Amino acid sequence: MRLPEKKTTLVLVVAALLFFLSPLYLSRYTIFVLNLFAIYALVAIGLNLVMGYTGLISAGHAGFLAIGAYVTAILSTDAGWMSPLLILPVAGLFTGLIGFALGIPILRLKGFYIAMVTLAFGVVVAEVALQWSSLTHGDDGFRVPRAVLGGFVFDSDGKLFFLIQPVTIAMTLVARNIVRTRMGRAFKAIRQSEIASQTMGIDLARYKTAAFAISAFYTGVAGGLFAYAMTHISPDSFSMGVSIDFIAMIVIGGMGSILGSIIGAVVLTGIQHVLSELPEVQMLIFGVSLIVFMIFMPSGISGMILEWKQKWPKKKPSSLTGC
Amino acid sequence: MILQVIVNGIATGCIYSLMALGLTLIYKSTEHVNFAQGEMAMMSGFIAFTFFQILGFPVVLSLLVCLLASIALGLIMERLIIRPAMRAPHFNVFIITLGASIVMQSVAGLVWTYDQFPFPSLFPSKTFSLGLVRVDGVSLGIIVTTGLLMVILYSFFKRSKTGIAMRAVSQSHTAALLMGISVKRCFALTWAISGLISGVAAILIAPVIFLSTRMGLVVINGFAAAILGGWGSIPGAVVGGIVLGILENVAPYYFPSSTRNVIPFAVLVGVLILKPTGIMGEERKRRV
Repeated sequence: MRLPEKKTTLVLVVAALLFFLSPLYLSRYTIFVLNLFAIYALVAIGLNLVMGYTGLISAGHAGFLAIGAYVTAILSTDAGWMSPLLILPVAGLFTGLIGFALGIPILRLKGFYIAMVTLAFGVVVAEVALQWSSLTHGDDGFRVPRAVLGGFVFDSDGKLFFLIQPVTIAMTLVARNIVRTRMGRAFKAIRQSEIASQTMGIDLARYKTAAFAISAFYTGVAGGLFAYAMTHISPDSFSMGVSIDFIAMIVIGGMGSILGSIIGAVVLTGIQHVLSELPEVQMLIFGVSLIVFMIFMPSGISGMILEWKQKWPKKKPSSLTGC
Repeated sequence: MILQVIVNGIATGCIYSLMALGLTLIYKSTEHVNFAQGEMAMMSGFIAFTFFQILGFPVVLSLLVCLLASIALGLIMERLIIRPAMRAPHFNVFIITLGASIVMQSVAGLVWTYDQFPFPSLFPSKTFSLGLVRVDGVSLGIIVTTGLLMVILYSFFKRSKTGIAMRAVSQSHTAALLMGISVKRCFALTWAISGLISGVAAILIAPVIFLSTRMGLVVINGFAAAILGGWGSIPGAVVGGIVLGILENVAPYYFPSSTRNVIPFAVLVGVLILKPTGIMGEERKRRV
């Protein structure tokens, strides 16, 4: 039943067109949720690089998201910067630098100690955002000015769609390439066995800090987009529970898989918005799926898809290795 | 004055010691990290609450139910979600217990709402004078109960046959198995004891901080205490808890009061970066 090559391309082009024209025919709320999908997909990809690929548990990614969001808010208010093309990279790089700095003490630690330090990091960032109110407006929260790019004001979810989606797509493609390079292979080797990869000449210190820095960069950029999409940020948007939601995303989507990160982000954000009236049920679903996936399907939904594809192989099995 | 603060700190610290002890016992025998330790305490607290508040049982009986429920909770967790993943990497088990903590929190929220409830204390609220310091009954009760539990646990692991078998399991699963010890049963028993400790912690702490779904967060202080004392060391867990309790109570006298919330996290990060083996921990060397 495989479509000929040309037809597949056509279908893809039509789907892409439909997707990019969606602000024209979908409701404002749907577009807002689509934007959140993209933002959380970026976070999940970032978290997956450090947790799924390199095997270092991070329970504090909400901290990186907060740093990215606050840098964006502060640059566009206090520094008066306008262009998101300038602000987002700076937010990403600054967060990446923090990630690099956090990566250094973590080099000495193993397994669950890393989870504890990152957890503490996330909580401390939220606490700093709460207490340093001269900079962050503390508990009142921060109104984020609109992004302006060459006179074009991103003042609605439909317009932000054209900022958020391209950034996410570009960064997803980059991540897909990162995991295929020498560095990506080193990440996977470190997850399998630190000692074995060290024996093979992989510089653990270099690649572990790199994993944290790149992961933080992704989450920082996502934080910037998050600030634009929400238009209002406050410390309680970045609590410990948010970090744990991110872990649930990649566990359910699939650890060590870019496709899985996107699936997980979409599924969890979708559930959050469908069940926004019932937070307890939401949490219950997340918790149960964490347990069930970890026991029965540790490679998540993307692993299930992969397994299913291998059971029913197509003519070109080599196309599977991409995800 | 400072002596007074330290005594109060010891009482808080005893709770952290209990949390750390529960975590350490499970870690020593199975090498698993139980993120749901605090939620186990919270759940058994709520079960006791249901018995005396809603069903109208006498308080002492309800607290007994609380202890039984906490043991049952430990056993259920072990059988239902830990044993199926016994051969999985520790990473996976950590995520599973994280999931369990979320499940318990949401179930408690669904059944008992997110409100705070008062919880009766077994101890008198009058104040005792002990030489230079004055101790209120609740703090004294916490310290005495914790001490008693420690002595019981110590003699159990030192003298009883089961306790010695459990220590053997924690040293080597294979060797213990070859000596005819049922490793699986020892694992289950470890979880039961750990559950019981969390139940005791619930009874001691709930009257002080009120019963709520947020009570489970005390596990973070437990982690900080266990790491401060030296992860994997039982005396370390006890000492770490008490030191952490004292630090938390003394810090507001020297720093702004908002630092109190950050103390466990600061301790966590500080110890792990400066001296990952903590006060009493030993460096573990792994064979390749």
